[in-house]
Amino acid sequence: MFLRQDFIERHAILLLVLTLATVAVGGIVEIVPLFTIETTVEPVKGVRPYSPLELMGRDIYVREGCYLCHSQQVRALRDEVERYGHYSLAAESMYDHPFQWGSKRIGPDLARVGGKYSNDWHYAHLENPQAMVPESLMPHYAFLQQNALVYDDIAAHLRANRAVGVPYTDADITNARADLEAQADAQADTAGLLKRYPKAVSVAGAPGRVTEMDALVAYLQVLGTMVNFADTSEEQLRQ
Amino acid sequence: MRIETSDVVIGVMVVMLGLLGLTAAAHAHDDEMYVFGLALAGFAGAFVIGQIRRHYDRAEAARRALRAEGTAP
Amino acid sequence: MNDAAGAALQTAVEPYNEAVVRKFTIAAVFWAVVAFAVGVYIASELAWPALNFGLPWLNFGRLRPVHTSAAIFAFGGSALLGTSMYVVQRTCKARLFGGDALADFIFWGYQFFIVMAALSYVMGFSKSREYAEPEWHIDLWLALVWVLYAVVFVGTLLKRREPHIYVANWFYLAFILTIAVLHIGNNLGVPVSAYGAKSYSLFSGAQDALIQWWYGHNAVGFFLTAGFLGMMYYFIPKAANRPIYSYRLSVVHFWSLIFLYIWAGPHHLHWTALPDWAQTLGMVFSIMLWMPSWGGMINGLMTLSGAWDKLRTDPGLRFSVTAVGFYGMSTFEGPVMSIRTVNALSHYTDWTIGHVHSGALGWVAFISFGAIYYLVPVLWRRNGLYSVRLCAWHYWISTLGIVLYIVSMWVAGIMEGLMWRAYDANGFLQYSFVESVVAVHPFFVIRMLGGLLFLTGALLMAYNLIMTVRSPRTAPAPERLSAGMVAVAAGG
Repeated sequence: MFLRQDFIERHAILLLVLTLATVAVGGIVEIVPLFTIETTVEPVKGVRPYSPLELMGRDIYVREGCYLCHSQQVRALRDEVERYGHYSLAAESMYDHPFQWGSKRIGPDLARVGGKYSNDWHYAHLENPQAMVPESLMPHYAFLQQNALVYDDIAAHLRANRAVGVPYTDADITNARADLEAQADAQADTAGLLKRYPKAVSVAGAPGRVTEMDALVAYLQVLGTMVNFADTSEEQLRQ
Repeated sequence: MRIETSDVVIGVMVVMLGLLGLTAAAHAHDDEMYVFGLALAGFAGAFVIGQIRRHYDRAEAARRALRAEGTAP
Repeated sequence: MNDAAGAALQTAVEPYNEAVVRKFTIAAVFWAVVAFAVGVYIASELAWPALNFGLPWLNFGRLRPVHTSAAIFAFGGSALLGTSMYVVQRTCKARLFGGDALADFIFWGYQFFIVMAALSYVMGFSKSREYAEPEWHIDLWLALVWVLYAVVFVGTLLKRREPHIYVANWFYLAFILTIAVLHIGNNLGVPVSAYGAKSYSLFSGAQDALIQWWYGHNAVGFFLTAGFLGMMYYFIPKAANRPIYSYRLSVVHFWSLIFLYIWAGPHHLHWTALPDWAQTLGMVFSIMLWMPSWGGMINGLMTLSGAWDKLRTDPGLRFSVTAVGFYGMSTFEGPVMSIRTVNALSHYTDWTIGHVHSGALGWVAFISFGAIYYLVPVLWRRNGLYSVRLCAWHYWISTLGIVLYIVSMWVAGIMEGLMWRAYDANGFLQYSFVESVVAVHPFFVIRMLGGLLFLTGALLMAYNLIMTVRSPRTAPAPERLSAGMVAVAAGG
């Protein structure tokens, strides 16, 4: 009787409650298990939180809307695996707040761009993409080299990430500033940095001045390189 | 003409939001928060002035209607 | 009491709050022009990248959210909020709940949200969640405005003087409630500082992706579909002067649509690291969604039974009916693209962009244009449109624009998909990525031209509507002109 339309459409609050209940079902059934089923994100060796400089670079990637033209998700399709590399694993973006899988490829996928090109290539390419790839549609990002990176609150960034579940340790947070500066200085001692963040790529950076481009290049160079697919058996990687 | 309850409630709410905007602008860590805070304060000011204007417009319309009624043959 | 005094009192106590509807109507037309203009500009940037000029605030990456937000939230949102407030008052025979101040706050608060969001994108602040890019402080502001909007809408339903709630209001209600849930759920995050704009999403990776597309797809399902279906269910019967074809069909349409839509999000994540079971669920429900969508289309189109001749004389209605046609087309194309094997080809290509625009231009914009052409003479108490011919020109120019847009994107998208997966005789990938970029260039130019035509049409509409309000040609006959009406027109 309460579920007859004739009754429902005479009672605004009932209509409201039933509408909310109806739309809630699908969302609950799909979203809740993603957090409760353990196999959703199977842990993979090598995946680590971003180094402070990479994290800042990632923020710039987000800010400039790079995700609007570049996906970060190699789909499990033959041609994509051949073009870009091993298909993306859920664990590889487990510290991505927010995810950057993207929805459109106006440019190529970047999930495994790390290590494909030299640092110098990235600097030149961001400065003037058409100088490296004449047919490219990419805007120029020379201004990133002019902008000094603002990182006085780098510890707060790490703490915010820890609040949403990224396992930064107290030591990571204490050393955040030093690690950031060490990664952006070719001459610096990077032992501590590499212990905390293996495979972090040092970028050029002029002494005493870290630019936004340094951060972005550091981020691009780590993309897709954390997992060593050579010494991981197929079985371990299977979704 | 009496002041409507909704005018008071919304007016007070907007003023509070405007003050919040000023606070945000004063403590801002970045340009965005500064611009947003100031704009919010500006929005609140403009909105409340608009409310006052609309109140008097309504009062005037009502007075005009009453006067027209009084002078009617 | 003489007529003039009576009318003047009437102004002081208008039966309905139409002032806020007038404001939203003006805003919708203004933002339509802005959204289309930005769209044409960023389409040009893709055709001729030099137009980025290397300026941070002019770069494609920062302008695209301006375009999508202006189209969806500024233009579409203003049209939805305005028409919903119009429809709910008329069909409930009740003035808006909460007084004029609350309605005013919703209007100005919503416009403030739009301006602040656009400004934050060009300044370089974005959460990078598609169609939900504004940072946390702007999200909080929108949440406040939206909850108050829900209060006004539901409050008006509660004080209605009609026993039944009209079908258009069911759809508007579902739109308002679901968008509130989606907006809050999708934008959960932790700011770096209470006085800084930057925040990090509460979720990460695969879970974040699903939550984003649960939001993203249902922004389409509830903002761009359910809301505009509310518009369809009021303005098409009104303009055609016919009752809705089938009440029973609208009941089935409503409940099945809102139940099924929510499930469809994962079809944006086929073949990715999202678990297969979620992808499959998304695909199955997307295909099922075809049925209620076409049920709604049939209900809209068949409402014209016996009134098809009106399409010849009323270009406004022509917009509404064509919109329903495009709705049918997009809601067929969507389920096809959600099939995993089709999606393997179509995803990440311009086919998706074409699909979105056949919905956004063909359905959302056209149904709004139909409603706006109907509303302006009613709201400003005019005898009719300034120029029916200009309206017809708008119709044909825009339709041609859509055809150019979606056909060029189909060709570009399918070409990209095929080139990316093409193998040569030796079993190597045949094309480098950049070769596909070069190949689609002509279609990017055609797409830009299609957008330019659509923008031209919108400018014609804006001119036509301004003249409708201003020109003496459309003024009501003198004997019907009373002081109150003048006051209404002037106070608009």
